[in-house]
Amino acid sequence: MILLLLIAIPFITGLLLLVSRPPAQARPIAMVATIACAVIALAQCWQYPGGELTFIEKDWVPDWGLRLKMGYDGIGLLMLMLTAVIFPFIIAAGAKENQENPAVVNALLLFTQSFLFGVFSSQNAFLFYIFYELSLVPLFFYLLFWGGANRRAITMRFFIYTLLGGLALLFGIAYCVVQEPSHSADFSALHALHLPYDTQVWLFWALFLAFAVKLPIFPFHSWQPDTYTMAPLQGTMVLGGVLLKMGLFGILRFVFPIVPLGTEHWRDLVVWLSIIGAIYAGWIAFRQTDLKRLVAYSSLSHVGILCAGLFAWNTYGITGSLYQAFAHAVLVVSMLYIVGAVQRRTGTTDLSVMGGLKLKSPRLAALFFLVMINAVALPLTQSFVGEWLMFNGLWQMEGGLWMTVAAVSTIILGAVYMLYAYQRVMLGPDTRVRPGVLLSEIADADQADHLFLVPLIAITLVLGFFPAPVLNLVQGSVQTLLSSLH
Amino acid sequence: MTTDILATLVPAFPLFGAIMAASLRRSLKGNAAGILATLMIGLSFVCSVMLFMDHQVVGALHAAGMHQEHPAEGGTHIVKLFDWIHVSGMNVPFAFQIDALSLTMMLIVTGIGSLIHLYSIGYMHDDERVATFFSQLNLFTFAMLLLVMGANYVMTFIGWEGVGLCSYLLIGFWYKTPAYNYAARKAFVMNRIGDLGFVLGLAWLFSVMGTLNYTEVMARAGSLSTETITGITLLLFVGAIGKSAQLPLFTWLPDAMAGPTPVSALIHAATMVTAGIFLIVRSSALFMFAPITQDVILWVGLITALLTASIGVFQNDIKKVLAYSTVSQLGLMFVALGLGAYSAAMFHVTTHAFFKALLFLGAGSVIHALGGEQDIRKMGGLKGVTKVTYVTFLIGTLAIAGIPGFSGFFSKDAILMAAYQAHPLLYAATLGVSLLTCFYMFRLLFLTFFGTYRGKAHPHESPLVMTLPLMVLAVLSVVGGVLNLPHLIGGHETMKHYLGTAAEGISGEHVHLEASTEWILMGITVALITLMIALAYNRFVKKTTLDPEADKLPFFQRLIARKWLLDELYAKLFERPYAWFSSHFESIGERKVMVPLMVGTGSTANRVGKLLRRLQSGNMSFYLFSMVVGLIALLAWTLYHV
Repeated sequence: MILLLLIAIPFITGLLLLVSRPPAQARPIAMVATIACAVIALAQCWQYPGGELTFIEKDWVPDWGLRLKMGYDGIGLLMLMLTAVIFPFIIAAGAKENQENPAVVNALLLFTQSFLFGVFSSQNAFLFYIFYELSLVPLFFYLLFWGGANRRAITMRFFIYTLLGGLALLFGIAYCVVQEPSHSADFSALHALHLPYDTQVWLFWALFLAFAVKLPIFPFHSWQPDTYTMAPLQGTMVLGGVLLKMGLFGILRFVFPIVPLGTEHWRDLVVWLSIIGAIYAGWIAFRQTDLKRLVAYSSLSHVGILCAGLFAWNTYGITGSLYQAFAHAVLVVSMLYIVGAVQRRTGTTDLSVMGGLKLKSPRLAALFFLVMINAVALPLTQSFVGEWLMFNGLWQMEGGLWMTVAAVSTIILGAVYMLYAYQRVMLGPDTRVRPGVLLSEIADADQADHLFLVPLIAITLVLGFFPAPVLNLVQGSVQTLLSSLH
Repeated sequence: MTTDILATLVPAFPLFGAIMAASLRRSLKGNAAGILATLMIGLSFVCSVMLFMDHQVVGALHAAGMHQEHPAEGGTHIVKLFDWIHVSGMNVPFAFQIDALSLTMMLIVTGIGSLIHLYSIGYMHDDERVATFFSQLNLFTFAMLLLVMGANYVMTFIGWEGVGLCSYLLIGFWYKTPAYNYAARKAFVMNRIGDLGFVLGLAWLFSVMGTLNYTEVMARAGSLSTETITGITLLLFVGAIGKSAQLPLFTWLPDAMAGPTPVSALIHAATMVTAGIFLIVRSSALFMFAPITQDVILWVGLITALLTASIGVFQNDIKKVLAYSTVSQLGLMFVALGLGAYSAAMFHVTTHAFFKALLFLGAGSVIHALGGEQDIRKMGGLKGVTKVTYVTFLIGTLAIAGIPGFSGFFSKDAILMAAYQAHPLLYAATLGVSLLTCFYMFRLLFLTFFGTYRGKAHPHESPLVMTLPLMVLAVLSVVGGVLNLPHLIGGHETMKHYLGTAAEGISGEHVHLEASTEWILMGITVALITLMIALAYNRFVKKTTLDPEADKLPFFQRLIARKWLLDELYAKLFERPYAWFSSHFESIGERKVMVPLMVGTGSTANRVGKLLRRLQSGNMSFYLFSMVVGLIALLAWTLYHV
């Protein structure tokens, strides 16, 4: 029941907001709902005994193998937890945004969270698919009506692209269910399928494509920079912070266990694509003139490494990737909040007209700096643990030498673009600030900014210093997954 | 138990100081932050001394017992706090290793660190962000202590990156000047290039060893194949190149002089830049088995030492001269490492920390006296005004030049002897470095303190809080040699034997030269050094020759003065192409290829959609909406019938 509660709380709160539309109380109500979810999810982590748990098991549409089978293992629980922990921040980020119709915005965000909980707790492939596609719906409306310049074209492009990937996935699932003797779409049944090698080789792409687009990895990424830049701040936070984790989760649920031979066949290619994408995006990020776009490319670069680590296909790679998934969620949300905070103060995200913000906002500069050291994966931040494990995972992959060299080189690229961005925004004399915005009017980070960023930074540092809780959460499940593959 | 608590307190004090100074920076008025930070590192120093005493006793007990055959096991104490990264076969504990090597470094870091903190109270007195400064200086000390105390490579890497970060912060401390920010960024990025090698080396080492704990890695170093060990050590050396500013990555260090002078003294002379040498000594059991790597280290060190010593001759900025001198001296230390003379390298690390910190702080005192002037052509005649600074600076110069009796003489001599033993030509080359060092250091001394004053400021001596550290460091620069007096003059090479208990490379060292040969070589060195001083005296005191700006020099000298054009070369080869590709990947790769590809896919899908639309009503939002409604209805229906 606890899982239904997780799905129901945000969903029902969202419906209530949609119906009653209280303009002023919308965000506090949404905050209460998401915080309640966070408490529930953390309590689940606390009580988690290990292994795979199933809480609900009911037939729904037996002919398709669609069943309401929900539960989690350590990996699913990590995803649930990160969704639950991140969403209160995403809701809170709206406080400073000047937006129309906050009730609807918050309702849409709550729907997204509800569906994400559904995705991460599905133990049935069709159920997963339904939630997976549903999670796009509220976001679609949010981007379409609240997005920035060129929002129609960009949203449609993003949507069609992801739907195409989804279609391939649907086909893949259907194919698997047909192959399954009892036509069950339960993951446990699909994982027991031993499809022939040739089938696995092509089925791999049917199953992988949706997640490759969702993450995204090179060369399926070109929707990402435009969409991230155009989306309203909270929308980008959802996209980068949580939504793309569905891609990682999907790979672990569909690709590895159902088509292990196919994975092995394509593994080198996927790792190379991921790493090439990581370098490509990290390289591009350096010369971006728009801060938000720079963050978009930096996220793209990080995600490339995440995916490469996953496909290293060993304990270190997968554990590191999952650890980094959480780190990346915290990073993206805090970084985007900084972007918003900078934009509110200077009236722009254009790096070429910024500079010297630290003179008037030293606290904001300090917060930006603390977020940045997580972005460049300095030891004792969350990101370092993840990257360290992934690099070791890649190295221990067969023929992983040059892959690791290429992957580790992103630590240089990351330092180049992040320090550049920081310097461009914060340091130097104040002459570059756009005419019209007087530096004397710029306020420093206030209490709300601190309330938002300090907890996120604290998560980063605490889990960088003491990663054991998260590592222990996923380790057992990663071992189970790997031992089922070999 | 006491060891555990003391060892934890050593890094804890500066960390506490950093956090307090940062969070109370608005309420800490005047010297409060400086006093707090100095107190913290002073306490850290006291703990280090207590640990050292304790360790001496334990070491003596071991020496008396059964452990003489394996001296490396004798005085090693591991303080484990908790499991840091523990994933299946990988266990990286958060642990400290207390042995002769880490204790030596801890004493240098906290001892010299205390003096530099004290000095900074005076030097940074008028800065509006003084609390931030001390917070960062304390944080640096914390990171440096983690670096030297870590019981495994990953712990060292925490410190390694931490000191890099603090170096970045402190180089760009005066953040309003874009050039300083650029210098800070350059330092961090060049260090990161080295880190690429470091991380890869660690991944490789872990994959073959299954552990990264120093004790276990060193004990099993001999079991690795030569190819593996050569590869790993070369990669680790790449890390060392970045951090210790060697060719081809040294160009960040001269630019790092943008930071406040105490920072240059602490980070960019005495401690952080020696991290690369520390890493190699720490891993000496690995490097011993990698002769190819040792040759590479030797050559890189030698070329760096010669190249940068030559640049130092033509610098007119008092701090730049010292910066190039630092790179050059680090090069000499790498020469020693390449020759397997690990104890000589560590000895030089120690004495260099004394006299180079002294010289930098002296330079700071001069800059302070002249209201910020750094150009030695606008100095002169200061010996009458700033007496303490002059005398201590003179002592520092004598020490670095290698005048017999001063600390630098003994440590440099140890390196020269090791070089001679390898090859007389190598001796000649290292001697050349020493002579160049002697020349530019005396040029600096003479132009600054001798002759008549050529500037417009009103020079005055610095306050006691600044001169006191100078005096202490001056004493250390004189007597530092006794730490490791050679057998030749009746010493016992105390430091070598002490460090030998921690680093296998040191306990296995053999330097055998005839006493007569040693005397002759020493005589040659001293005679030539005296000649150099005379030359410098002739040129800069009798005549006061001032070099013009670099672009007015004759071609060859101009080439040297402008760092052999390395900065320009790197800009052409790397920086500009990097930026070019960065913008063109976006403008061509993304805009012309990737996005059109995606739009093409999208419009194909759209066309298919249009065909389908004839069958349906055709509104995407409507579809989505009905999809949601339908699914919810289905779900509700199922739940109702359960």
